Amino acid sequence: MNAFEYAAPRTLDEALTVLREHGEEARVIAGGTALVTMMRQRLVSPGYLISLHDIPGLNRIEVANSGLRIGALVTHREVETSPIVRERIPVLAETFRRVASVRIRNMATVGGALAHADPNQDPPVTLIALGARVEIRGAVGRRELPVEEFFRDYYESSLAPGEVVTAVVAPQLPPASGAAYVKFLPRTADDYATVAVAAVVSLEPDGERCRQARIALGSVGVTPIRARAAEALLAGQRFSAELLQAAGESIKGAVDPLSDHRGSAAYKREMAAVIVARALTQARDAARATARGTR
Amino acid sequence: MTFTQECLIPVERERLWDFLMEVPKVASCVPGLETVEAVNASAYKGSLRLQVGPIRLSLQGTMTIEEQDRSSWRARIRAEANDRRVGGGIRARMSLTLVPGEGGTRLQIVTDLAILGRIGEFGQPVIKKKADALLEEFARNLGAALVA
Repeated sequence: MNAFEYAAPRTLDEALTVLREHGEEARVIAGGTALVTMMRQRLVSPGYLISLHDIPGLNRIEVANSGLRIGALVTHREVETSPIVRERIPVLAETFRRVASVRIRNMATVGGALAHADPNQDPPVTLIALGARVEIRGAVGRRELPVEEFFRDYYESSLAPGEVVTAVVAPQLPPASGAAYVKFLPRTADDYATVAVAAVVSLEPDGERCRQARIALGSVGVTPIRARAAEALLAGQRFSAELLQAAGESIKGAVDPLSDHRGSAAYKREMAAVIVARALTQARDAARATARGTR
Repeated sequence: MTFTQECLIPVERERLWDFLMEVPKVASCVPGLETVEAVNASAYKGSLRLQVGPIRLSLQGTMTIEEQDRSSWRARIRAEANDRRVGGGIRARMSLTLVPGEGGTRLQIVTDLAILGRIGEFGQPVIKKKADALLEEFARNLGAALVA
């Protein structure tokens, strides 16, 4: 690993100032699970590390507009085990539980994972399906954008130089809705997904037809994606084996997987269709249970 | 890994061939190429900057024209380059063929590429997409240089 200077500012404004001063030489560090690994491999060699750890207020999980606002420094393990997350958006706790190993989850932060923009991660998939938004702070102020617009390319986010992720805000599910995260990992439990799918299904009052579906996928291209064509197929339709198959077929045209040691692009494309159907089925069942419970 | 790429350059075949065989000229169209220097009549050394996500590579290496056959409009190139800081490099053999096309000349490139060391571990999955993006930019630059 290269030699570097280390700063641990006490306020976000101070961190942003230091980040601006050092420009491309500086990298922001939170949990360090991604950055330190890349530094050890000498893939990146920043001259300056700015830790966010001593900045108060970035590590809270709060109720916000009936959804949840999760601070950038909240760890994966904290999301997984948080009673408030489990109660309000259980699929989020379940998704973070599926990330790597407990040692990683104890260190890796919500904001750090987003900024890393690795297309094989679990949380972005569910966050996109939920319609979550990222909060960003930079020298010129605060901005916010949907998680699905945050990822640009392989390990590239839309963070501008000098900007920092401060939180992610996830809305609560609409009434009569259910969500599921299905991670297909045929190798080991702590591996990245071969294909990952999150689905949110909202039912019509009849409890049978799909009012709206949101589908997102990970590990199927250079960024996580939202499958809008498949969503459109489902809207207003009654669930059936044919409908799920049609949604799966439409997924094959939406994904552009990379061949790697987890499988060829062709294999991942086929599995994406299968896993989407499973996730939709689970989300529909969860939605029915919710609808029955509130009736 | 072997892959085939193709692009259309809006000039006639003779003109494209002559331009492509003049390495210093064509070098100016290669995205990220910083220096190029002749070692002898068919070999060059140079450096190329390439960014993949957060990783900035600085590849130093050589390029050799192994074959250039104007009668069949075909050339073969070998390139080897390393990044000392990251550790790792690339080895490539490229075969270029010029075919007349609609509104210009089609440049067909078959590349046999090996990515070595740490660069490979990170970059292997996206190298084809990166190569496509680079060719697109190269073709644009080439078109602009030749039409101007």
